[in-house]
Amino acid sequence: MKPEERTIDKATKKMLEVTECECIETAWDRYDAMQPQCGFGTLGVCCRICNLGPCRIDPFGEGPQKGVCGATADTIAARNLVRMIAAGAAAHSDHGRDVARTLLLTSQGKAEGYGIKDEQKLRVLAEEFGVKVDGRKKEDIAKDVAEMFLAEFGKQEGELLFTGRAPEERKAIWRKLGILPRGIDREIVEIMHRTNIGVDSDVMSLLLQGMRTSLADGWGGSMIATELQDILFGSPKPIRAKVNLGVLKKEKVNIVVHGHEPTLSDVIVSAVQDPELLKLAKDKGADGINLAGICCTSNEILMRHGIPIAGNFLQQELAIATGAVDLMIVDVQCVMPALATVAGCFHTKVISTSKKAKFSGIEHVEFNEEEALSTAKKIVRMAIENFSNRKSQRIIIPDETKDLIAGFTAENTATILGGKYRATYRPLNDAIISGRLRGAAAIVGCNNPKIMHDYGHVEMAKELLKHDVAVVTTGCSAIADAKAGLLDPEEALNYCGKGLREICETVGIPPILHMGSCVDISRIMIVLSNMVKEGGLGNDISDLPVAGAAPEWMSEKAVAIGFYVIASGVYTVLNPSLSVLGSKEVTSVVYDRIKDIVGGNFAFEEDPIKAAQLIIKHMNKKREALKLKPMMYSKD
Amino acid sequence: MRYVIIGGSAAGISAVEAIRSIDQKGEITVISDEKYPLYSRCLITYYLAKSIDEKKLKFRKEDFFQENRVNAILGVKVEKVMPEQKKVKLSDGRELTYDKLLIATGSSPKKLGIAGEDREGVFGIRRIDDIKGIEKIIGRVKTVVVLGGGLIGMRDAYALNALGKKVKVIVKSNRILSQMLDEASSEIIRKVVEKNGIEIITGLDAVEITGDKQVKGLKLDNGSKLDCELVIIGKGVDPNTELVAGTAIKVHGGIITDGYMKTSAADVYAAGDVALTEDILSGETTINAIWPCAVEQGRIAGLNMAGEKEKYDGSMSMNSLTFYGIPVISIGITRPKGEGFEQILQKDTERNIYKKMVIRDKRLAGIILVNSVTQAGVYGELIRKKIDISSIKKGLLDSNFNFMKILPLVQDNMDSFIEKGFQDLLLSCGK
Amino acid sequence: MKKKIFCAVQLCLACKGCEIACAVEHSKTKSIIGALKEDSPPRKRRDVQGSKETIMSIACQHCKTAACVVACMAGAMYKDEEGNTVHDEDKCVGCGMCIMVCPFGVITRDKNIVLKCDLCPDMTDNYACVKACPTGALFAGTAEEFKKRLETRKVHEVKK
Repeated sequence: MKPEERTIDKATKKMLEVTECECIETAWDRYDAMQPQCGFGTLGVCCRICNLGPCRIDPFGEGPQKGVCGATADTIAARNLVRMIAAGAAAHSDHGRDVARTLLLTSQGKAEGYGIKDEQKLRVLAEEFGVKVDGRKKEDIAKDVAEMFLAEFGKQEGELLFTGRAPEERKAIWRKLGILPRGIDREIVEIMHRTNIGVDSDVMSLLLQGMRTSLADGWGGSMIATELQDILFGSPKPIRAKVNLGVLKKEKVNIVVHGHEPTLSDVIVSAVQDPELLKLAKDKGADGINLAGICCTSNEILMRHGIPIAGNFLQQELAIATGAVDLMIVDVQCVMPALATVAGCFHTKVISTSKKAKFSGIEHVEFNEEEALSTAKKIVRMAIENFSNRKSQRIIIPDETKDLIAGFTAENTATILGGKYRATYRPLNDAIISGRLRGAAAIVGCNNPKIMHDYGHVEMAKELLKHDVAVVTTGCSAIADAKAGLLDPEEALNYCGKGLREICETVGIPPILHMGSCVDISRIMIVLSNMVKEGGLGNDISDLPVAGAAPEWMSEKAVAIGFYVIASGVYTVLNPSLSVLGSKEVTSVVYDRIKDIVGGNFAFEEDPIKAAQLIIKHMNKKREALKLKPMMYSKD
Repeated sequence: MRYVIIGGSAAGISAVEAIRSIDQKGEITVISDEKYPLYSRCLITYYLAKSIDEKKLKFRKEDFFQENRVNAILGVKVEKVMPEQKKVKLSDGRELTYDKLLIATGSSPKKLGIAGEDREGVFGIRRIDDIKGIEKIIGRVKTVVVLGGGLIGMRDAYALNALGKKVKVIVKSNRILSQMLDEASSEIIRKVVEKNGIEIITGLDAVEITGDKQVKGLKLDNGSKLDCELVIIGKGVDPNTELVAGTAIKVHGGIITDGYMKTSAADVYAAGDVALTEDILSGETTINAIWPCAVEQGRIAGLNMAGEKEKYDGSMSMNSLTFYGIPVISIGITRPKGEGFEQILQKDTERNIYKKMVIRDKRLAGIILVNSVTQAGVYGELIRKKIDISSIKKGLLDSNFNFMKILPLVQDNMDSFIEKGFQDLLLSCGK
Repeated sequence: MKKKIFCAVQLCLACKGCEIACAVEHSKTKSIIGALKEDSPPRKRRDVQGSKETIMSIACQHCKTAACVVACMAGAMYKDEEGNTVHDEDKCVGCGMCIMVCPFGVITRDKNIVLKCDLCPDMTDNYACVKACPTGALFAGTAEEFKKRLETRKVHEVKK
C-alpha cells in the first residue's frame, strides 16, 4: 500500500514515505505481514480460557460446534467479550486509583510537585457526597475526598457514588437489571471468575455482568480519574494549542510524553519550566525545551496547559522517525513495544516510568508520586543531555500543524452556554427542541491500520456537522479531527449545517468540542445527565437524540467504554465490529436486542459516512418519539 | 517412423520424452559428440567445485536410454546434414537416414581470437572434458583469471573460488552481470563476491595470453600484466551450426525455426541453444540460451515430430543464480532502452533486498529480484501472458506480494490462464 | 495420481493450522513440541494468502505440464507415473530455476535446496494440512469431487 492509502493526514503520509524509503518498520508493515488474520479470532469463536483447549468453533457448521467443555460459540464469544470489558475497565480504573492515591498523598504533603489546583471543584465535589467543607482546609477536605473515592475500589456492596449522578429513570433501569456496580475492583474480579471454565455460560448473564463492570468504569474508575484530575491539575478551560508532527522543533530539545496518566505528564510540564534546566538546554546549544505529547496523556496536558500534540496512536513511531525527539517518556496504555526498535535507529531515548509497564529494550526510570518532581527533572535532564547526540543531518519534521481549541468540560460547557452566573444546558436543549440542532454525537476512540488512518473519525464528523449534529470528541479521535482542522472553529464552521452554525456563532462555541482524554468520556456521561435534568428532552438518557461512535477502535478500553455508553442508554456505532460475529446470539443481542433491555445498542458500519447516516436516522427517531419540532434547516 | 536427434542435452532428451509420450513404436536414435551421456551442462560449475559428483550431475537416470528404447550413439559427431537425401553423415564415416530429424547441437564457448589462446591452461567451462582438463592441472594453479563477467564467467569464478584458488574476473564492461542485471543489483552482487574473495576488474579486456607451453599470465588492453596459471574464457557462446552449412537449412547466426520448431527443410527441426526463436517480449528473433527454453523447445519439437501440432509460445530471457547465500532472479527486459518503459524499484541495503519492475504499456516486461525471490514465477507469469497489471501496480513491490494478489487478474483474464493448475485454483474460489 | 488438495475459499478462515501441521509433519519428531526443540525449525510447504473474504491455503498444484520440471537443470523435479510432481531433495542443487518459473510461487528456498509440497509421503491415509483444517476448507480428491462438495456443502454467509 502506498502512504496516501494508509492515511488522510499529510504529516503521516510524509513520514510513511520516509520510513518506507529508509526501511523503518511501522505498525502498518507489521499489519500487512499479519495478513490474513485468523478468522476464528476475528469472529470471536476461539477459546483459550482453559487447558482443555484451545478450542475453535466452526462458524460454517460442519466442524465442532462445542468446545471440549461444551461451550458453544455463543458462550465463547460472550466470555471473550466480557473479558475485554474487564481488561478495559481495569485499565481505566487503575488509572483512577492512581489519581485518587496521588490526591491522598498530595493532601498529606507527601507528593512532590503536586498541588490542589482547583479548590472550588474540590469543595463542590466534597459537598456533593456529604464531605464537610465549611471552615476546613483544602488539604483536609482533599484527604477525605481521596479516601472516599479510594474506598470505591474495594467496596463490596452498595452503589458506586458517581452513579448517583445519573437520571432517576436510568438508575431505576440499572437497579431493575441488577447492574448498578457495587465496587470497582469487585465487578472486574467477578468477570474473571464468571469467565473461568465452568462458571457463567449464559450469554445474557455474562453481558449483564459485562455491563455492570463497564458502568464501574464509566461511572466509577474513569469518572474518579477525571474529577480528581481536575482537582489536582486544574479544571480545563477553553484553550488554544497546536497539533501534528510539525510541533516538533529542530532548534529545541524535544520531549514527547506518551501514555495516559497526567500524574506523570503534568509534572513534566512543571519540570520543563525549571530555570536551571532551561539554562542547561541553552548551554547545550538548544533554543529551549519543547514539550509535546502523543495519545491521551497529551490530551490531558493539552486541556489544562495548551501543550501541543505531536500525534495520535498510529503516529507514535513516526514521531521518533523524525529524528528530532530527544526523549520519549512513556507510562501506561497504548505504548507500542516496537518503540524500542525504531528508537534504536535514532539517538532518541525512550524511558518507561511505570512499574506496571516495562518494555524490553527501553530504559526504565521509575516514577513515584513521592519524588515526582525530582524524577521528572532528572528525566528532562536526560533529554537535554541527549540533544547533542542528534544526527542533525537526518532530521525530517513534516511542516504540518493545525491550530485547535480544546478544554471543554461538563461544567464550562454549561458556563459557555448560559453565561458565567447562569451556567446551564438550557440553550443546548432549546436548540435541539427547536430543530436548529438535530442532536449531539460523541466520536471517540483509537486508530487502527484496518481503517485508513483518521479517515473514519474525520469523515464521520464532517457528515454529522453537515446535518446539524453537534459533536463532542476525545482521545485519538479528537486528535484526528484537530489535525484535519476541525477543531479550529473558523474552519469547522464551513462544514456545519445552517442550524448548527447559527448556534455556534450565537453562543460562541465551536461545533466540535474537545473534551479531553479517554477517561474524560465520563464528562460526556455528566453532560448527558445534565441535559436530561435540564428538561424537555425526555426523562432518561435513552430519550435523548444522541449517539456515540468509535470509527477506528482497537483497545479493550474502547470495548469497556462502548458498553458503558450503551448501558447508559446511548446508541453507539462501531468499526471494526466487536469480535462476536461468529455467535448468532451475541451478535443479535449487542447489535439489536440489548436496546430493549438498556435503551442503547451497538451498530457496526464500515463506511464512516454511512455510519453517520445511521446516527442521523437514529436521532430522527428519537426526535419523533419526543415529538420535537421538525428540523429547521436540514431536512433529512 | 525413424527419429534421429542430434545432441543429447536438454533439448534432445526433452524431445525423446515428448516423442515417447505419443509414439511408443517409432525408432529413436540420439547422436551426441560427448561420450558422457545425460549430464546437465548447467550444473558443470557445481561439479567443478566438487559440490556434486558425476552421478548427481546427471539429469536423468542411467537407464534412460534403455527405458525409452533409444539407440544412443555417444562420442560421435555429426559432420553434415543432407536434408534432400534425409541423411546425416557421422564422423566415424557412417550415414544414417531419418524420417524426422531434430538438430539440438547446442552451442560452444566463443573463442577470443587472441594470441596464446592455445596454450595449456586455457579453458571454456562447458563440458565434462573441460573439467577433467582443469582437474589435471589444478594442483599447480594458484591464480585463475576468468575472462568475462556475465553469468557464465561469474559462475566459473564462484566455483574456482570454492576450490580455494585466487580468482580475478576481467570484465570488459563497467560492471558484472551487465546483460542480466541493472547497475544497482550488479553492485549488490559485486560487493558480495568481493567480500568473499573474488577480485573484480572492470573496464578492461585481455589482449594476449602469455607463457610458454603453459599459461603463465595475461596482458590487458591498458598495458598491465597479470600472473596466472589458469585462464577461463566465459565470454558467451556461439550456436553449433557448422553441420548445416551450405544446406537448404537457413541459418542466421542460429538455425531459423517457425512457430513449431521446424526449420526451412522438410522434416528437420531445431531446438535449444542452436535454434532461433521469437522472443515473447521484444518480438525479435533470437536465441535465449537458457535451460528451460531448450527443454520446452525440445518438447514442442518432439511432439510435432511425432505428429502433433503444438505451437511454441516463444522464448523469454530469464536467469537464476545464488552467490554466497544471496539468490538473484531476473526475467524479461531488465535494462530497458528507448521509450515507453517505466521502472519502479525498492532497495533495502541493510537486508540486501532489491526489487525492480519494468513496465511497458501497462504490462510487466521484466523483473530483477535480489534476495526476495520466492514470488519470481508469479511475476513471470504476468510477463509471459502479457497481463494488464494496472489494478495491482501499486502493490507489485509489497513484501507480501503473492499469487492471491494477482487472483483478480487471473479471474479477469481467464482465457490466458487455461492451464489446469489455474483452473483448479479458480475452482477453489467457487467460480 | 495421488489425491489433489483443493482449498474452498468460502471456508478458509486463515487460522494457518495447515501451515503448522505441514511443518510439523515435515519435522524429525513429527510433534509440535518436539519440533520446537529440533536443530533447525521445520519448514512449511503451504502458504495461507489473501485477505478479508478471499483467503486460500495454497501449495504445489502438481501441474500437468509442470514448469518446474521443464526448468529443473538437475532432474530433481520430475513427474512420477501417477502424474504427481515429485522433488528429489537429494538431487536438488538449489539453483532456483524452479522458483523462477513456478506460476504460483509455492516453491521456497531452504538451506541449499528448495522445498515444495510433497503430498506427505510418510502418511498413508491423508495429508497433514487436510487433516488439520478445522473448517474442512482443505479437501483431497479430484476436481469433480471438489466441485460436488462445494455444491452440497452450502455455506451460510458469515460476514467477517
